[in-house]
Amino acid sequence: MTETEIDLQGVNGDAKAADTGVQYGAELMQFAETFARRDDEALTTARNSLLSVAGEAVLVDAAGVAANFQRMVRIADSIGIPYDNPDSSLGQQVRDELNLTAFTSARHTFKQ
Amino acid sequence: MSYFKYENSPYVIRSDIAEAHASFWENLASPGNWWTGAERVAIAQEVRNALSCEFCASRKQALSPYNFAGEHQHGEGLDEVAIDAVHRVITDQTRITKSWVEDNVVKGLSKGAYVELAGLAVAVLSVDEFHRAIGVALEVLPDALPGAPDGYMPALASEGTGYVPMLPNDGAIGKEADLWGDRGANVLRAFSAVPNAVRDWMMISSAQYLSFEGMANFDSPENRSINRMQIELVAGRVSAVNECFY
Repeated sequence: MTETEIDLQGVNGDAKAADTGVQYGAELMQFAETFARRDDEALTTARNSLLSVAGEAVLVDAAGVAANFQRMVRIADSIGIPYDNPDSSLGQQVRDELNLTAFTSARHTFKQ
Repeated sequence: MSYFKYENSPYVIRSDIAEAHASFWENLASPGNWWTGAERVAIAQEVRNALSCEFCASRKQALSPYNFAGEHQHGEGLDEVAIDAVHRVITDQTRITKSWVEDNVVKGLSKGAYVELAGLAVAVLSVDEFHRAIGVALEVLPDALPGAPDGYMPALASEGTGYVPMLPNDGAIGKEADLWGDRGANVLRAFSAVPNAVRDWMMISSAQYLSFEGMANFDSPENRSINRMQIELVAGRVSAVNECFY
């Protein structure tokens, strides 16, 4: 665990928030975003930017994580699984801050 | 032939990533519980076809994907129900419903076969997407190995969560004792009707992200150049763009 202060809005695409308490946070966030949006030109720019500030080992590790999470939404939605512990206070706090219940895949957890 | 040498990569690729990808390629080429090796490789090809399929792109814009006629751009070796299933898992998964999965059973795609198909599709996607992320060409698909599927499904797999049979939380016992510990998270249980799909899932995830044990440990992993906060920022942003609640 850590006492480092972070800003969760980095997950929602705010570059300044992504940089709060996370080394190379803005570059990592941009790399993840352009990758997930399948914007090849922007991905090349973001990849080069991350490479220039953080080096190739960071790029390779970040690429692995990003690739892995292309899978998660497809597992959840193709099988229709709910989130395991939707009533935890931490989970509710994160959901509220990031407005996660607006996502279509929340339907598996909160039946409509 | 050996795969995933990454000789043309401009970057050094961690050996555990290359080994996990190569091991999965071996499994991909082998017969599974419900599909032959040739069919499994054909499923992998459909993952690639789906990403450039014009029908998928058009259908994704439609108000409902269930009354939208057309034909996928596809390869050989699978029937149209299986082709459509792969393409939906890859390009329009948020609109998959329980009734669609059950309609497919009537059309010949059993739930066991669907679980294996979905497990393969997302594993292949994860490997291919790593290549796209670092900007290197996709690995050539493996040559299929001979043999027939064995039709195995764990005796404890049952309906109740999601659209398909799964092992219960405390059901990783006997031949499935290695799948998880005392209690399995739903994302682990999802493919448990096809235990090797869970094993492949964990093998790739351990290299690309974190091991199951590592997920519960918020210290930074030993063999990574990014710490846990950096890992979760990348994971979180990709998931947010994908509108992944899970």
